[in-house]
Amino acid sequence: MELLPERALHWPEAGVLAVADLHWGKTESFQQHGIPLPVGVLDDDLERLSTALTTTRARRLLLVGDLVHSRQGLTGDVIQRVTTWRRAWPHLDVVLIRGNHDRHVPALPPAWNMEDRADALDEGPFRFAHHPEPAAGRFVWAGHLHPMVRLEGGADRLRLPCFHLRTGVGVLPAFSAFTGGLNVRRGRGDRVFAIAGTAVVEV
Amino acid sequence: MSPTSRPRRNRMRGKQAPEKEPAPPKSRAKKRPAPRAPSPFQGSPMEQLRRWFAAKGWTPYAFQEEAWAAYARGESGLIHVPTGAGKTYAAYLGPLADVAERNQKGLQVLYLTPLRAVSRDVEQALLEPLLALDTDLEVESRTGDTSSSVRQRQRERLPQVLITTPESLSLLIAQEQAAENFAALRAIIVDEWHELLASKRGTQVELALARLRRFAPDVRIWALSATLANLDEAARTVVGTERTPTLVSADLQRPVDVETLVPEQVDTFPWSGHLGFTMLPRVADWLDPTQSTLLFTNTRSQAERWFEGLRYLRPEWEHLLALHHGSIDREERERVEGGLKDGSLRLVVCTSSLDLGVDFGPVERVIQIGSPKGIGRTLQRAGRSAHRPGATCRILFVPTHALELVEMAAARDAIARREVEPRVPLSKPLDVLAQHLVTCALGGGFTREALREEVRTATSYATLTDEEFEWTLALVREGGPTLRAYPEFRRVVEHEGRFRVTDARLARLHRLNIGTISSDASVQLRYWSGGKLGTVEESYVSRLKPGDTFLFAGRRLEFSRFKDMTAYVKPAKAKATQTPRWGGSRLPLSTSLASAMRRTLEAARQGDVTRDEVAAAWPILDAQARLSRIPGDGGCLAESCHTRDGYHLFLYPFEGRLVHEGLAALLALRLTRLQKATFSLSVNDYGMELLTPTPFPFEEALRPALFTRERLVEDILESVNLSELARRQFRDIARVAGLVMPGLPGARKSTRQVQASAALLYDVFVKYDPDNLLLRQARREVLEQQFEQGRLARTLERLEASPVEFVHVHRPSPLAFPLVIERISASVSNESLLDRVERLKERWSQADARPA
Repeated sequence: MELLPERALHWPEAGVLAVADLHWGKTESFQQHGIPLPVGVLDDDLERLSTALTTTRARRLLLVGDLVHSRQGLTGDVIQRVTTWRRAWPHLDVVLIRGNHDRHVPALPPAWNMEDRADALDEGPFRFAHHPEPAAGRFVWAGHLHPMVRLEGGADRLRLPCFHLRTGVGVLPAFSAFTGGLNVRRGRGDRVFAIAGTAVVEV
Repeated sequence: MSPTSRPRRNRMRGKQAPEKEPAPPKSRAKKRPAPRAPSPFQGSPMEQLRRWFAAKGWTPYAFQEEAWAAYARGESGLIHVPTGAGKTYAAYLGPLADVAERNQKGLQVLYLTPLRAVSRDVEQALLEPLLALDTDLEVESRTGDTSSSVRQRQRERLPQVLITTPESLSLLIAQEQAAENFAALRAIIVDEWHELLASKRGTQVELALARLRRFAPDVRIWALSATLANLDEAARTVVGTERTPTLVSADLQRPVDVETLVPEQVDTFPWSGHLGFTMLPRVADWLDPTQSTLLFTNTRSQAERWFEGLRYLRPEWEHLLALHHGSIDREERERVEGGLKDGSLRLVVCTSSLDLGVDFGPVERVIQIGSPKGIGRTLQRAGRSAHRPGATCRILFVPTHALELVEMAAARDAIARREVEPRVPLSKPLDVLAQHLVTCALGGGFTREALREEVRTATSYATLTDEEFEWTLALVREGGPTLRAYPEFRRVVEHEGRFRVTDARLARLHRLNIGTISSDASVQLRYWSGGKLGTVEESYVSRLKPGDTFLFAGRRLEFSRFKDMTAYVKPAKAKATQTPRWGGSRLPLSTSLASAMRRTLEAARQGDVTRDEVAAAWPILDAQARLSRIPGDGGCLAESCHTRDGYHLFLYPFEGRLVHEGLAALLALRLTRLQKATFSLSVNDYGMELLTPTPFPFEEALRPALFTRERLVEDILESVNLSELARRQFRDIARVAGLVMPGLPGARKSTRQVQASAALLYDVFVKYDPDNLLLRQARREVLEQQFEQGRLARTLERLEASPVEFVHVHRPSPLAFPLVIERISASVSNESLLDRVERLKERWSQADARPA
């Protein structure tokens, strides 16, 4: 498995790219509540997704939950921009494994052409699920937590999105740039990979 | 009784007879009216009030006569006399006579107070003279504490005299029928104007007053203020640009007696920290329950700890001792205030929550625990004691660490010289204007030109340009000048030239959001059994685990669960392990106190140890002199030092933490231009630390050119972009401008999906709308307030002109020590993220390789 600085997980043998917590339409949800946030996050996020797809040449894209931030955020404009992006990847299989935010959206726009699953997806030795709960006999790749890692030493301090690999469960960083996060609580034997700009560094 | 008036529900609310016991607060709203006794006094309303005044045994002071006459002439202005001299009646009796004379319905006198906690006292004071009159008048409060049934009634009919806070006033202005409600207004009294003046709350009041002057063009506005260095400015700000204020003042200065409780053993006295527990036994010895005493602390958690400590040391005082701070539930606060007044409580540990208020009568002594921070504030607190005209105010300083002894010597000196600080109003903050525009749009709507001219009558906005007004209007309409970027946003909409809010949900959210007081989302604290305890910040609760114990309102509590913005607790069996921390701004050392501190240190440097406090702190000052130098008033002391943590530079301008924050970021930026580096910054009221993991030639770098004021604004802006400061400032701006929804109790859950930290919003703006005017404002505010730009420029001027006294020390000096242990937040870097991560990793691997 490869951990990419685009906040994505690559499984080369299966041609699979997995990302979690995209929160599409979050900016628009804010706008609808009278909060004047500028748009731009979605376009940047989609561009980063395309970069990851191009470099990995993945055939399948797994969206590990929290694809859509809220129902109000799913505006015509958001649907259209995602549709345009989707049309640029006609041969890509896209699977949504639903997360807690997705429950607000009964059905995805058909033009997005995505397989819509309510439950986890088991593939080879892995399970892909939104909530990071261990499963017997499988290593689970999940999202939900938006893991962040704090680095500090002497004079310097940083807080970065990260991959958090625990026994039996790997938590992906939130894909959307417009998300807060939780600091990881490092258990014994855990491995943490921070995203430092264009590199992924184990810390 | 006047034949035209009809008896009404809640009239005077059963309180006009002074011999009657006040009803308990809970049942007041339901209390039946007491039968109205005719006035014992003859004559016109003003004559009746004068007779009542005389019957109280009072003779009007000249300033009171002057204020009544000025009101009668239709003037507006500022009444400035020391606390306890009778300001309230100086301002109130004129309007009261006026209203009684006219005998009309509807709101006629508005009494604005900054603290809702004191509205009860004000209400008492304003009700009392009513018994001198023959007219039925209603005096009521409307604050955040007012019950919803009373509010509902007030929505239909306002009393003739209304006591309210700036926030509740804005809510009234946001009502659809605001123009009619305020049309009959005769007088506005703004109490404790010095408290509001220099804050966004003050600006909010200025805008509200501008609106009220429009609704009631003849309204007279009188502000009440304690001593200030800039009284003329304070007066101009309250009356607005279209009037000339009348200044009424009285030379009733009360003598102030300041004493410092000097620790016996300074060797064992801490070098830093703020709790001051080593002094607890001495304070307990000094206290005397026969002398009623207020113990002021600088933070709420410190108040909790001192209360607990005193209870532990003096269990026999249990029933005489109480705790008062702004997060404690209202009923408990009222109980404490009542206990102070009737003398049943003798010792009250409190925070700024008791800085203001009408009268605590019997308070004899005041203790200030920790740094007094400012001279005006200290005088105000001292003025709480012996609250009688002419009586000597007494205040006892209790230092919490060794260097505060020097601060207290300096404060005594500055008090003797009466060096009170100016309080400078803000200059046209656009976030407050944005909020006000939405408020006006809700309150009946507005037209562009009329509102622009109205806003400009507020002194703080006198120089508002058309461009700035249009930007702000665009912000609340389209979200910003780049319309495309905000397709779904609409708050204020224009219809035939009139701007209104039409979306009921947005209207509700705005009402929840009104105000400019920055605080974290607050969470109700309740017992499982149902009793309310007060509020704590959400960020504190979110770190608690079930079973954690903490101290609140003097009680040991065990946290059970957090649900629907309420934290449920039960009494703890075990000892409490922690105290909640509340955010809120930590006051910096004031200009007056800072310069007094430099003077005092200069004297100590010359060997002058005549002051008790300096003599007591001498072992520490002597250690400072031996390891390094005592900072003088001429040059600025700089120390460099190499420790395990890295390479330190310490600088001691003694200009207060805000200036130091700005200066540290500025110097860090200018230093990184000389050599690539990452600095972490740490500041306190005395100085700053710049720490870098790699060697840095500090001594060569600290040339006068480093302190140049050239490109000051550009450099600060650049350093602000690099650091956390603007991001932090943005939190408040985002709140005021309505970008962040506070998790208020009662807010529907739907707002949960639009919760995002202001820091995250800031990042989104910087990236996708870098010209957004709120970002500009964040930067401007960082410049003006956070760094006190003017003060910072003067500091740079001083540093550039006078040589830096550079000393290399082998270990952090006594002055450096607090900076080292209180290392914080911000960092300034021009290295790449990856470099920094790799270097951090390297450090750890070295640490791992080190033998145990």
